[in-house]
Amino acid sequence: MNTTASHAVVSAAALALALGAALAISSAPLTAQAADNEKCFGVAMQGKNDCAAGPGTTCAGTAKVDYQGNAWKLVPQGTCEQTASPTSPTGFGQLEAFKEVKQS
Amino acid sequence: MMIVSPTQATNGAPALSPQLPPRAGIGLKSQHYQQILERNPAVGFFEVHAENYLVAGGPFHHYLGLIRERYPLSIHGVGLSLGAQQPLDREHLERLASLLERYQPQAFSEHLAWSSHGDVFLNDLLPLAYDNATLTRVCAHIDQVQSRLQRQLLLENPATYVEFAHSSMDEAAFIGEVVRRTGCGLLLDVNNAYVSSINHHWDVQAYLHALPLHAVGEIHLAGFAEDRDAAGERLLIDNHGAPVDAAVWRLYTEVLQLIGATPTLLERDNAIPPLDLLLEEAQHAQALLDAIQPTRRQASA
Amino acid sequence: MNSQQDFFAALLDPERDCPADLKTWNGSDPAARFAVYRNNVLSSLIDALAASFPVVQQLVGEAFFRAMAAVYVRHSPPRTRILADYGTDFPTFIEGFAPAGSLPYLADVARLELLRIRAYHAADAAPLNPTVLAAALAVPERLGSLRLRLQPALGLLDSAFAVVSLWAAHQGALALAEVDPDQAQCALVLRNGLAVEVLGIRRGDLVFIQALLQGQPLGAATQPALASDPTFDLGACLAQLLRAGAITHCTYDKQRPLP
Repeated sequence: MNTTASHAVVSAAALALALGAALAISSAPLTAQAADNEKCFGVAMQGKNDCAAGPGTTCAGTAKVDYQGNAWKLVPQGTCEQTASPTSPTGFGQLEAFKEVKQS
Repeated sequence: MMIVSPTQATNGAPALSPQLPPRAGIGLKSQHYQQILERNPAVGFFEVHAENYLVAGGPFHHYLGLIRERYPLSIHGVGLSLGAQQPLDREHLERLASLLERYQPQAFSEHLAWSSHGDVFLNDLLPLAYDNATLTRVCAHIDQVQSRLQRQLLLENPATYVEFAHSSMDEAAFIGEVVRRTGCGLLLDVNNAYVSSINHHWDVQAYLHALPLHAVGEIHLAGFAEDRDAAGERLLIDNHGAPVDAAVWRLYTEVLQLIGATPTLLERDNAIPPLDLLLEEAQHAQALLDAIQPTRRQASA
Repeated sequence: MNSQQDFFAALLDPERDCPADLKTWNGSDPAARFAVYRNNVLSSLIDALAASFPVVQQLVGEAFFRAMAAVYVRHSPPRTRILADYGTDFPTFIEGFAPAGSLPYLADVARLELLRIRAYHAADAAPLNPTVLAAALAVPERLGSLRLRLQPALGLLDSAFAVVSLWAAHQGALALAEVDPDQAQCALVLRNGLAVEVLGIRRGDLVFIQALLQGQPLGAATQPALASDPTFDLGACLAQLLRAGAITHCTYDKQRPLP
């Protein structure tokens, strides 16, 4: 270790063990699920510089917007209405549940 | 294949430019990348918006690279803001130059419009007053672009919804003068010509005939949406979200009779349909192109 | 005269009159036609944000999202011509947007979506050949000073909310009703080949990867990770990075990469 003695909490042996394990794990054959996931790459994001005009002529562009005070009438009404269950499992329980999931 | 451009450059633009094949092409959409690679559809070329590819890496470049190996490419800029009352964004021009260097497209086009002010980008193609000051400015910007890119730019006629009281010439004459002064080519958007003619009560035939048709390097076709102005008159919106209108197909056929078979793009940016529907529309254009052979341009080449 | 200045100012401000020098063939009020431009500018930019922040939009619903985005667009129109880069401060805007105050996690969900866009378009970087690391194993006494460089696509998010679960629930990966938004989570976003992956990681992983990003060598990066999270598993963390192809270079000094 090149770190000063007082901070040398991680031994060279521990690092070697960890790196050796990492190389072994990462070179192991892919699981069937992981191999299957390889096929879902490239579900593409859209290009955003397009030439599409907005619908109609009188909607969004001319509407006045005031969200200070009481003028704002909208409340979030999407999937957020299905969240916030206080009885749900811990954060790590949630994480373990979808570790293998790829991007959509 | 190199074809001698019919346009004689008077200023800056090289007289020789690679050209798209005189066939029908479609816009390349990320939704269709994989299908295109799997099926190799019979289209003459693909067109992309330059700004979507001014990113460092990732899937867009991966797929465009693969598709470019198989098809001719047109790069269509939507962000250069040629008509802005301010200098061109040099950094943007440099990025475009790198993109063109990388993909070696057969055509590069931009719009007769402005889309930026100060450092704000508005993402719309905004209308210009057709006067001498604008003419001088637009020509200077096109000269700058052509000399940096070392190639001819195709300038697209716009779809507009208002005119300016202090315009001193009509749009076709303005475009003709830009082409004459800069040696740029014309990207004739037939839908835009139709939309603007309805919106401003122009005679679309007179408009087309007044354009520098000898300089047309590419044609765009697209669909529009229909609205009404404050007096209840038809106001057409160039929304690129619908099939090409019958009136625009008729106009396109007339244009082909005037100038011969010309590379033709079917544009769709909104409500992107399945690839097959885009291909069907392109096939319709291709049938009209096939009926026009042999072309005046090929005969002269 | 500077007609574009007037045109520009009126585009983004619906309270302003439309520019004075507009003309219509039939003498109809040009304001109705100018509204097309106003609408195109605003709605095309809202569309760009909707494409970039799909989960934020799903969480609040389309009507709320578009209204919120309209406020943002007028407040912060793009300073870039590349719309993939637009919206970098949208999460911060959301944080201060009072009508969304009932969803304190919304800004961090937006931050996660921003990391995904960045990862998607980031520069390509070939993964390090694992044999280079295997060779480094032969000199264990130098491992502490080994520096790993990570792919440009990689990003981290340290959130007080269950951002990864919320995001994953919108990909159909788990039921939204089972997500407790108030659980703190750390996210690792990277690009594995062409696919952007969002991975839930432990605090120790986050601290370790942050240290790597700051250029710390392996030994010095491991210490704070262990200090912040005694369960930190260096081997598993490195394996995750290797498997995703996230490690691109390694070197014993700052200047010269090994391969």
